[in-house]
Amino acid sequence: MNKKYRYGILFTVLAISVLLAGCVEKPGETPGGAAEEIKIGIVAPVTGGASTTGTDMWQAAVLAADEINAQGGVSVNGANMKVKLIKGDTETSREGGVKAVTKLITVDKVDILIGGFSSGITYADQVVAAEHKVPFIITGASSPVITRRTDVDTSYFFHHCPTTDDYPDSTLLFVDDVVKPAIYAKFDFDDDRPLRLGVIYQDSKYGEGVYDGIKKTIENNNLNMEIVSEEKFKMSETDFRSVLTTIKAAKPDVVYPAAFLNEQTLIVAQGRRDVGLNTIYLSVECNDDPDYYTGVGEWGEYSIQESRFGPYANPAGAIRSSVLKFRDDFESKWGASPGMMGASTYEGVYIAAEAIKNANSVDKEKVRASLAELEMPQIIEVMKDSTITFSPDYRESKFALYMQQLIMDEAAGETRPKIVWPESVKETDFVLPDWYEPGAGGA
Amino acid sequence: MDTGVFLLILAWGLYAGCIYILLAIGLNLIFGVMKVVNFAHGELLMIAAYATFWVYYTYPRINPYLIIPVVMLLMAFLGVLIERLCFRPILGTGKLNEIFLSLGLIYVFQNLAALLWSAGSRSIHSPYSGISVSIGAITLPLDYVAIIVITFIILVVFHVFMKRTTVGRAMRATSQNREAATLMGINVERIDMLSFALGSTLAAVAGSLWMISGQMVTPYMGSIPAIKAFAVIIIGGLGSIPGAIVAGLTLGIAENIVPFLMQSLVAVFGLEMSFTAWKDTIAFFILIVVLVIRPTGIFGEKGE
Repeated sequence: MNKKYRYGILFTVLAISVLLAGCVEKPGETPGGAAEEIKIGIVAPVTGGASTTGTDMWQAAVLAADEINAQGGVSVNGANMKVKLIKGDTETSREGGVKAVTKLITVDKVDILIGGFSSGITYADQVVAAEHKVPFIITGASSPVITRRTDVDTSYFFHHCPTTDDYPDSTLLFVDDVVKPAIYAKFDFDDDRPLRLGVIYQDSKYGEGVYDGIKKTIENNNLNMEIVSEEKFKMSETDFRSVLTTIKAAKPDVVYPAAFLNEQTLIVAQGRRDVGLNTIYLSVECNDDPDYYTGVGEWGEYSIQESRFGPYANPAGAIRSSVLKFRDDFESKWGASPGMMGASTYEGVYIAAEAIKNANSVDKEKVRASLAELEMPQIIEVMKDSTITFSPDYRESKFALYMQQLIMDEAAGETRPKIVWPESVKETDFVLPDWYEPGAGGA
Repeated sequence: MDTGVFLLILAWGLYAGCIYILLAIGLNLIFGVMKVVNFAHGELLMIAAYATFWVYYTYPRINPYLIIPVVMLLMAFLGVLIERLCFRPILGTGKLNEIFLSLGLIYVFQNLAALLWSAGSRSIHSPYSGISVSIGAITLPLDYVAIIVITFIILVVFHVFMKRTTVGRAMRATSQNREAATLMGINVERIDMLSFALGSTLAAVAGSLWMISGQMVTPYMGSIPAIKAFAVIIIGGLGSIPGAIVAGLTLGIAENIVPFLMQSLVAVFGLEMSFTAWKDTIAFFILIVVLVIRPTGIFGEKGE
């Protein structure tokens, strides 16, 4: 092959490569009016290990933006501004998150950010938002540290997602209020007997956060509970038999895993089937997912699931119709059921629109101040006092979490969650199953 | 420790060891014949698990045990494709090429799986998942007993195949001395293809049994079983099938027993480590000890 021919091939290959490199997918955008538009950056893991959640967040945000634009947009200074969403794919990694947020701010010049799944990733990418003083409504990170860290200015961050302190707070209050009396009545335990709690948690900020939240809840509410066993496991573990055997030996009345879906499924199934730990299993809200009900099968029956929005539950009361409408609209548009992170991101877009309308401006400082003073009715997730507002100290909104019990649905061939607490949104009563075995002792 | 609990943990270790053995033997076979280390072998387990899931939900009500032969055929075909299209063209061009190729295959398979089935966890349900069997002092899920029995049958069939059939003997000859095998009239390229297909088939059984046992599959779950399989073949000796069996069982049992024993160390020395982290620690601790005492592995030959 002579030199000219070789160089010709090399040049052609290089030219094609440059051409193809330029043909990258445009970052997802929703159509907006070119002149008068509010640019919202949606920070979500659209690719990578959490892509299912990221896609859910993006699709829910698009639904919200389309609804707002269909109603004329957001009134700002006499003009109706359309909402334009720009996708910031974190690629389910810290580096991807930083890259995405940097691009959204410096290239796309967004007015506000919404999203941020995974506390670890958000912890990294929010630094960029802090540096540029861009308001960020964080709808997908559970660590309270997101707005409480002191190494960056967090005044532009607004946390619209329950934290690892909130999960155990509602869960253990429910256990104290409903589960414990049922156990004690059936087995004739003294009221003074502390409830025996076994905790198994992921060796991560998330797991440790929930475990710390459990201890804080017991102490702050003076609950008559004691942690008789606490075990850590590494993320993505697949074999929990040995650790569950240790927990079983401690004779707990209730077991509280702080785990992700794939881990929770195996903890419950292996606990009941392999180890014979026939107890009430609790669960953090991230497992309120169709894949969990399919995966855990019959073994999840009568277990407890804390939540705020799910694919199957229909909270009673004022919010029911809006939940059903949101679910129907999402399914019509996307052909899939919305998830929890999608629900809070959907609300995040409405929150941003309301704050901008109240500020009468897209100026970032004015929007920040408007968010800090925001009070608006709950949308599709039950909020404390039915109002979305951010606390003055750490800018955290307060969700009114509910508890569900998994009940077998013969038609579906798997369990379905039914809300059992609190009374205001309850669908059915809690059931203590016949196979339940309490921990040690009656006194 | 209660005797019943001890025996139960042993049984769990035996079942876990079965998955490692199947994966490790396939890896060993490919290495033995082709002298190629396939880092993407864990991804073959993952693809097989997804294939099991896909067939299970495409044909509802099918008994998942009947899916195993189907997945074995599919994965054998995939193994042939990988050998022909990927490894064959670069054989003999240098170890680095082989390593990078198999690393590249990891990403191809992971992203293919994520594209086809999303990144979420998937699982199936065995119709026997609610049935337990009493064996002496312990009670085991029927599926675990079935997995141990199926693995035993596979190993017996594999042993007979390698010892008593022409193709098996040809594989052993090729792994011992490729040039001599060629001189003896063995079509070594065809043996390479068959070895890769057979190795993939064993990974297929591991993947299907993984799903039947109630485990979940994600696109990224192949790496841990693969690392454990590598540890097994190094502990057992590269190219040694009996070594892989002994090492696989040892690893499976040690992973389950040792964390319990370490509990007492935690109490004495105050060592803070997640319970399940002990499992991985012990696997590589055994690997290091074996390599120090006998670098060729328990059953390995010198020079490997």
